[in-house]
Amino acid sequence: MVSPIYILVLSLAAGFMLSIFDKGGRRLSLTAFYGVLTFNLAVMVDWLYRLAFLHAPTLVINTAGFKAPISINLELGITEAFVLLLTNLTGLLAAVYLFKKFKESRVSSLILYLLLIMGVNGLVMTQDLFNMFVFLEILSISTFALTVLTKNSKTLSAGFKYMIAGGVASTFFLLGVVFVYYFTGSLNLGFLRAGQFTDAGMIALFMLAVSVFIELKPFPANGWALDVYQSVDSGIVSVIAVVNSAAIGFVFYKIMPLLPGNFLTVFGIAGVITFFFSNMMGLKQDNAKRLLGYSSIGQMGLLLASLVFTANSPANIRYLIIGGLFINHLISKAGLFWLAGIVKEEKIKDWTILRNNKPLLVLFGLFIFALSGLPPFAGFWAKWEFVKVLVDAKMFFVLVSVLVGSLFELIFLFRWFTNTVKEANSELEPMDPPGKGKAFSAISFGLLAVITSFGIMRFFYEFNWIQVLPILAVLVITLIDSLPSKVKGFLSLAALAGYGYYIYPLLESNLQLFFGVIFIVGSAVNLISTLNRKEQSKGFYGFLLMMIFSFGNLLIASTYLEFFLSWEFMTISSFLLILRGQKAQRASLMYMIFSTAGAYLIMAGFSFAPALTSSSALILAIENVNLPLISIIALAIGFMIKSGSLGVHIWLPEAHAEAESDVSSFISAILLKAGVFGLLMVAISYISHSPNFDVFYWIGWIGVLTALVGAFMASFQEDAKRLLAYSSMSQVGYVVAALALITHLGWVTSLYLAFNHMMFKSALFIAIAGIYYRTHTRTMYKMGGLISRMPWTFMTVLMSIIAVSGVPPLSGFGGKWLTYTAFITKGWYLQAGVLFFASGISFLYLYRLIHTIFLGQLKYEHQNIKEAPAWFIIPQYIFLGGIMAISMFPNLIIEPLNSIAMRYFSSSIQINGLTVISDLGYWNGNLVMYVTMAVFAVPFILLMLVKGRTQRVKQFNIVYAAERPESPQTTHVAHNMYAHYRKALGRLTLPRIQTFWNGVAEWAHTFGGFFRRVYTGNGQTYVLHIIMYIVVIYIVMGVR
Amino acid sequence: MISTLILGIALLIIGFYAMLTRKNLIKIVIGFSIADTGTHIIIVSLGYLRGKTAPIIDGAVSMVNAVSEVVDPVPSALVLTAIVIGLAVTAVMLSFIVEMYKKNKSLSIDDYQELKW
Repeated sequence: MVSPIYILVLSLAAGFMLSIFDKGGRRLSLTAFYGVLTFNLAVMVDWLYRLAFLHAPTLVINTAGFKAPISINLELGITEAFVLLLTNLTGLLAAVYLFKKFKESRVSSLILYLLLIMGVNGLVMTQDLFNMFVFLEILSISTFALTVLTKNSKTLSAGFKYMIAGGVASTFFLLGVVFVYYFTGSLNLGFLRAGQFTDAGMIALFMLAVSVFIELKPFPANGWALDVYQSVDSGIVSVIAVVNSAAIGFVFYKIMPLLPGNFLTVFGIAGVITFFFSNMMGLKQDNAKRLLGYSSIGQMGLLLASLVFTANSPANIRYLIIGGLFINHLISKAGLFWLAGIVKEEKIKDWTILRNNKPLLVLFGLFIFALSGLPPFAGFWAKWEFVKVLVDAKMFFVLVSVLVGSLFELIFLFRWFTNTVKEANSELEPMDPPGKGKAFSAISFGLLAVITSFGIMRFFYEFNWIQVLPILAVLVITLIDSLPSKVKGFLSLAALAGYGYYIYPLLESNLQLFFGVIFIVGSAVNLISTLNRKEQSKGFYGFLLMMIFSFGNLLIASTYLEFFLSWEFMTISSFLLILRGQKAQRASLMYMIFSTAGAYLIMAGFSFAPALTSSSALILAIENVNLPLISIIALAIGFMIKSGSLGVHIWLPEAHAEAESDVSSFISAILLKAGVFGLLMVAISYISHSPNFDVFYWIGWIGVLTALVGAFMASFQEDAKRLLAYSSMSQVGYVVAALALITHLGWVTSLYLAFNHMMFKSALFIAIAGIYYRTHTRTMYKMGGLISRMPWTFMTVLMSIIAVSGVPPLSGFGGKWLTYTAFITKGWYLQAGVLFFASGISFLYLYRLIHTIFLGQLKYEHQNIKEAPAWFIIPQYIFLGGIMAISMFPNLIIEPLNSIAMRYFSSSIQINGLTVISDLGYWNGNLVMYVTMAVFAVPFILLMLVKGRTQRVKQFNIVYAAERPESPQTTHVAHNMYAHYRKALGRLTLPRIQTFWNGVAEWAHTFGGFFRRVYTGNGQTYVLHIIMYIVVIYIVMGVR
Repeated sequence: MISTLILGIALLIIGFYAMLTRKNLIKIVIGFSIADTGTHIIIVSLGYLRGKTAPIIDGAVSMVNAVSEVVDPVPSALVLTAIVIGLAVTAVMLSFIVEMYKKNKSLSIDDYQELKW
């Protein structure tokens, strides 16, 4: 066991000796240099182990043979050891990263670097205020000097601004220290008490605190820091952003107990403001390192806010929040700065060259995901707990700022990520291979991120392995990714079967079982279509399994956190699947932004919810939970974003259209149902604990309008997949509307429609996937007459659209019968009328779909295309089989649904043999089927009889009168098919919602652009900001 | 004590004023230096006790009565360290200015606004 004072001693000694060692060659001095850094780390590993696992008492080191307060003393408790372990680790890895630089630069940079690290260690451990000042100055001076490790006019001017700003801050710090001494007679933190500061003493305390705060770069007094982040060498910047900030943040943490409540509140709010504005200004940033600077400043603001606002939380939660945010910032920020140094491209849009190096691209994604606070990384857990703390403390202003700020951050990070992965770039310049040291450091932090995530999940939350399964699936598939696509596909099917077998006994109710069939069985059948993939499809099956397992985990989640974790896994995996689409950059970004906004609402909604009292699955336990109104609203909006309700649907057509064809069917048929599942969960609580405000009445209206608008929009599409996407939106609108009835029949209807939609929409999307596979186009008017070339697919589409439209005899008819009965029984006549109208509109797009693609003239280029491959046909016909089965024997589904809904309501229907009887009438699906078959058979037989008398006209047996139009298909009826309806609707068809969201985005960017104008680039202005900031904070705090 | 305290604060304000208004880099650093000196004077003045002598135990001050006869020695000790640190910071600043002048041939802070927003 080595006393940590030797860290200081050895660093100083080595600092002096290095220049002598250097005479014996750079190899010698470098050895000593890295030796000391490793020694520091080893000491801290040792001490953290002792303090945490052997329960050693906090180590107190007295110096100069006296006890404090006569002499300076150092303290090393578990918190100090934790912070120092991570900072020394970062210090060492940053030094490894800078290896080449250190080999070539002057020996003085090695000395400065050692002093910097020593300053950090001293700053964290010392208990003496003046000693703190000394270490702060050692840290600052060495940092100033290191900013010009790469010397150019940018680093020089940034360094100079940094120095004058730092100089002003440390002047105030020194004054604060001295006045503290003057008023209390002590400099030792162990001997200072908050009560000692009265009247003028407060001013002393204020100066001390505010100067530390300024060093932590609060908005807007932080322009100098941004310039440093942007210009200085990546290795050094990672140290400044992470290690220095951590040490100074820790100083703030140490003086916090002295500060009165109103100081802390103001500092906490200033931290939140910093977080919010930095991220907002980050929206306009296109320089990668400056963007990271904005993000760093924001993260430090968030960290400060969490320090202040978690003061009353239980210790373990507090450690998780602060520690989680800290470690997340440390890993991802250092990692990203290092990558910035490897990529060597200033502009974000030039990062596309990272595609040349797949491992680094993965690492980049990992850091971006971690920084955005997505699971399983530390930031996710910290944010979850922090939101809960804020809700419990009723700090709604802070809550909203934190969530909106996080969303801004996610937007610019994911714009960067999607741009890097997908931006069309005709020629990718080759990337310089990264140096060994650089890659080593970045990869180490990638591993550290994984290890901490695992640690938190395993030891803090003690999750079952099933919760981690989605991640494991990705890892396993990555390991076997070199296998042919088909093998992976079959393995995935097997994994899915195994998973289904495992969770089947865990499903405690029919409701779970029902959604289990949609999620797991539906996915399994859909998965068959992916077996057609010829290319390697690297990563595809991993994310696909991750998504499906997350669906399943939603069913068995027994706490809010488990549910939310699975929800986020689902979002991440579906985002990555959508991103695989060729032009999916914009679509996937939009999906991620909307999903995350929804996720934040859900997170807040759960935080408002009272604790669960039962240990069964959440969907059951929620029965006994009295959700407050705000929670219901937040959760409902969050889930409705995922199910594509009107107003927040604009991600939906993009994502469906741009995803790969076989992914679209998963998104539409299954992913949207996850939103329905969530909404159902809210409704279950609502039945027995409905608040005064009738939320579901309005949700019902939203559902109805979604159905109507979706149908209209679908009618105006030229792109088959967009048409189906809008159709999905419309159909899920029905599901939501019926669910909002909160009646027995309403829920039977809702679930019936959901199941039906899963089947026909899967079949339709797979059919379109097959057509796209053959024709390479999604634009419908470029097709036509495919009935003769692809009869099997035609049959699927025909059957499916019958099932959608609700004409007898297929399942849609039952759906419509149930819908109208349910709405009329409830007394929602107007809504029923609108839905009826919407059903009429759906004929328009369904007709367009089948007519344009399959009927009419076969296009010349499609003369010889073949039927879709069997892998597409098989799942279609499995779904068709399902549709036929429930059409013929509706009891197969009505009976289970009846029993599900009877758990919550008394039954409103009777099932008599094959007949379903409601208050309004009865429906015998079986009989309807026979009647319709008979009606169909008569003209069919007649037509067959007259077949011989028809005369075939050759396709090009047409003469144009005068000239041949440029693109003949645009003269065809199928092109812009419903133009007259569009005209009739006039202004109603303007994309108002799209325009609204565009406006929101533009405003956010404009504000970001406006506020960042405070950073004029002039060092003097920055000093003025600092002084004014101090004055403002002084006035706000009301110090006297 | 009061007069030196006022002097210190005055220097501090003059120094900051110079830092905020002079455009010349060297004058800014001089401003910083003046402010720094002001700080040092404030520190010393805080430790001063009227009518007491230097905190050196020799013929004039006996070991026994030292506590009642000398000024507070701690600020005097602190100010020494502060002066050294101030010197170091000033030196680094000036060396930056030398390099900046070499690169850009300008001493006006307005010419170093390339990085912004």
